[in-house]
Amino acid sequence: MTTAPADAANAPVAPFDEMITPDGTPRATHAAVMDTLTSIGASGLEVRARQRDAYLDRHGITFTLGERERPLPMDLVPRLLMSGEWQRIEAGVIQRLRALEAFLADVYGPGRVLADGLIPRSLVTSSTHFHREAWGISTPNDVRIHVSGIDLIRDEAGEFRVLEDNLRNPSGVSYVLENRRTLAHVLPEVFAAHRVRPVNEYPERLLDALKAAAPPEVSRPTVVVLTPGVHNSAHYEHTFLARHMGVELVEGRDLYCRDNTVYMRTTSGPEPVHVIYRRIDDDFLDPVHLRPDSVLGIPGVINAARAGRVTVANAIGNGVADDKAIYPYVPKLIRYYLGEEPILPNVDTFDLTDPDQRKHVLAHLDRMVVKPSDASGGYGLVMGPSATDEELAQAARDVISSPRNYIAQPVVTFSTCPTVVEDGRIAPRHVDLRPFAVNDGRNVYVLPGGLSRVALPEGSLVVNSSQGGGSKDTWVIDDGVGDERPAVEDWSDDGATVPWPPGYNATRRDNSPSAHDDRILQQERQQQQAGDRAAGGTPC
Amino acid sequence: MLSRIAESFYWLGRYIERAEATVRLLAEHHQLLVEDQSVPHATGCAVLLEALSMPDTGVDTPHELVRVLVGSEIDPSTIAGAVSAARSNARAIRESLSQDTFEALNSAHLALSRGIAFAASPGVALHNVLERLLVVNGVVDWTMPRDEAYHFMVLGRELERIDMVGRLLSIRHDLLWPSSGPAATLRAAGGLSPFLRSGMAITGADARRFLVLDTTFPRSMRVCAADAEEAVRGLQRRGASDSSLLLREVGMLRSELEYARTPTAREIEQFVDEARGAAQRAGDEVNRAFFRQHGTVVWSH
Repeated sequence: MTTAPADAANAPVAPFDEMITPDGTPRATHAAVMDTLTSIGASGLEVRARQRDAYLDRHGITFTLGERERPLPMDLVPRLLMSGEWQRIEAGVIQRLRALEAFLADVYGPGRVLADGLIPRSLVTSSTHFHREAWGISTPNDVRIHVSGIDLIRDEAGEFRVLEDNLRNPSGVSYVLENRRTLAHVLPEVFAAHRVRPVNEYPERLLDALKAAAPPEVSRPTVVVLTPGVHNSAHYEHTFLARHMGVELVEGRDLYCRDNTVYMRTTSGPEPVHVIYRRIDDDFLDPVHLRPDSVLGIPGVINAARAGRVTVANAIGNGVADDKAIYPYVPKLIRYYLGEEPILPNVDTFDLTDPDQRKHVLAHLDRMVVKPSDASGGYGLVMGPSATDEELAQAARDVISSPRNYIAQPVVTFSTCPTVVEDGRIAPRHVDLRPFAVNDGRNVYVLPGGLSRVALPEGSLVVNSSQGGGSKDTWVIDDGVGDERPAVEDWSDDGATVPWPPGYNATRRDNSPSAHDDRILQQERQQQQAGDRAAGGTPC
Repeated sequence: MLSRIAESFYWLGRYIERAEATVRLLAEHHQLLVEDQSVPHATGCAVLLEALSMPDTGVDTPHELVRVLVGSEIDPSTIAGAVSAARSNARAIRESLSQDTFEALNSAHLALSRGIAFAASPGVALHNVLERLLVVNGVVDWTMPRDEAYHFMVLGRELERIDMVGRLLSIRHDLLWPSSGPAATLRAAGGLSPFLRSGMAITGADARRFLVLDTTFPRSMRVCAADAEEAVRGLQRRGASDSSLLLREVGMLRSELEYARTPTAREIEQFVDEARGAAQRAGDEVNRAFFRQHGTVVWSH
């Protein structure tokens, strides 16, 4: 999988544009939306942009960057995915997840894949996210990756590829739901021509999956969302999920463990908790086993999980499977565990622990992206073409001194989408896609669309919200307008057969009698006019 | 107090509630039409108009629906009409209202009559109207003495609320939009978060039961009936005579909802219809007992 790029690739390749074909004509699928936007015009879009900002501010739909809370910039132009394209993405994501679930069950269990030598044992054990503490913890419904957000990009040929796997705490799903609401609120016209698959089922699906993961002997499981607190960058999302699932949002200090049971402190005494959807990192989860200085976690929760009294979702130690050094092996894992060919290919990636590949990378560093293998959020990433000489030299030193901690990929120019830029103009900007998937043990539900992140500065390829990226409402479009719905008369259910009780008039609307009594109105007016006349003096 | 004054307070309560409930319902319904196009727009518009007792004039776009329902001052079934009617009643009792109440209501009226409805996006415009109506309710809540006038206003508000929840439930979002409909119904009554916190999964039947029978949510019919009953008792304490039939009407509704067995999906419809019927009868009785005691005096020669 680590084929060296042909030298012909030296010349910059034009990115795939999702709206305009290479010969300059707009794709038919985008015509309706673009017509609407054109008719609104640049000045109209500026007005809508202000309304959008007001809406996001008012609703407090924000993420925290540094010390500041700010709205995640949502672009007004939706991103369109046709149902055929989506089918492939959905199937590919599900396939990849099944393989990664099998891999996690394997490395935290029998270790078959290591014994077979498919992946070097050292690569797994040296992963900072491989937690021996999690070895042998079984999961009630064999799910470890309850929620995932696999990042995809579209390469120069328009093919979707996996950029990275996020199997720990992928965030951003709240923005998917909020973006849809926001766009329908400020720009309803663009929806007119299409039938867009709804996204609002997500919280319900997530809650079902979390309940399905509860210890089997619990009939009515209590689910909580565990947040690090209000200063976390994704705190808005934590509140969003708790509110939309109708469960408590807790902090570590609200929970405690006793006799391997986790309780939350409530005004009516301790209440047992069965499923913790935690949005804090592994390291902070349990000071007894992991970082002893953590004040965000719950001492003893890992023992409780091992005893099968509580389920932690996502499972502890998932990070070993989304480690960027494991990433190049995922296609192999798909073949190994499932006996299938990968539906979604990887981006070419160099394993820097291999001397030949390392040499190649160091020789072409200015055309590579170098990423720390255990980080996310775009932190520590060195983008070859735009890096300074000093940055490149530093990257080379880092790669040579600790090759395990980095991977390198040829710069992929991912696709562009029309985006509103300054002055209400529309221009192409680079986008990626994070489809969110929820695994309840029986089915994997992939939220139709997912989060499209857009790099707002011209030419930029970094879409992370922590690095100034924005987002786009992403539509999965069902081709053909659906009129197959039954007509009004036909959707009656059992309720419609109930006779209305006598004396009830469904169409009656009570109104205040005097407010519209013309006679009184007329005469009151005349009084007023008579008064005017008196004051002004009457002629004759 | 004067019957005429009492009547204006009663209708002030009703129209403010009608305007607010219609705005919420329209905003939510509009969002649903735009976001989830599985239902043809003509159908989606028709069901809302029918629920609000408006003539169906062939409206078939969400934008047109907003225009029709924001409406004009002459039709009190529309938002502008309800706000305008509320303001007419407020003008008639301006001396008994706090200045803040009148101002808040007046600014809602002015915003509507100056064409806020024609702002570019309906969601934004509706939100502005809703915000002003919330101010009216807030000001009333913290400036109005709990006297006879207040009880008349609350009585009007609660009877209208029962009627509006009934209209909301008659739309059957849950059947039209099986996936997003139940949540939309709850949201249109401001009840999504309270519902979810009660630990139920969103199903059409549970959402509807919640809006009829919940014990704590202020827009459930049951709580409305209890508040209406409390308002009538308040009037009685202040010496309103001839209110026993009215008390019977709201009290029976309240106890029926309070002691009901958990109804099946089918039975909910009966509850809804009965509640609306009781609210209508209570409205007639308010009219008879307090505002029209002696009929119209006719002079004969």
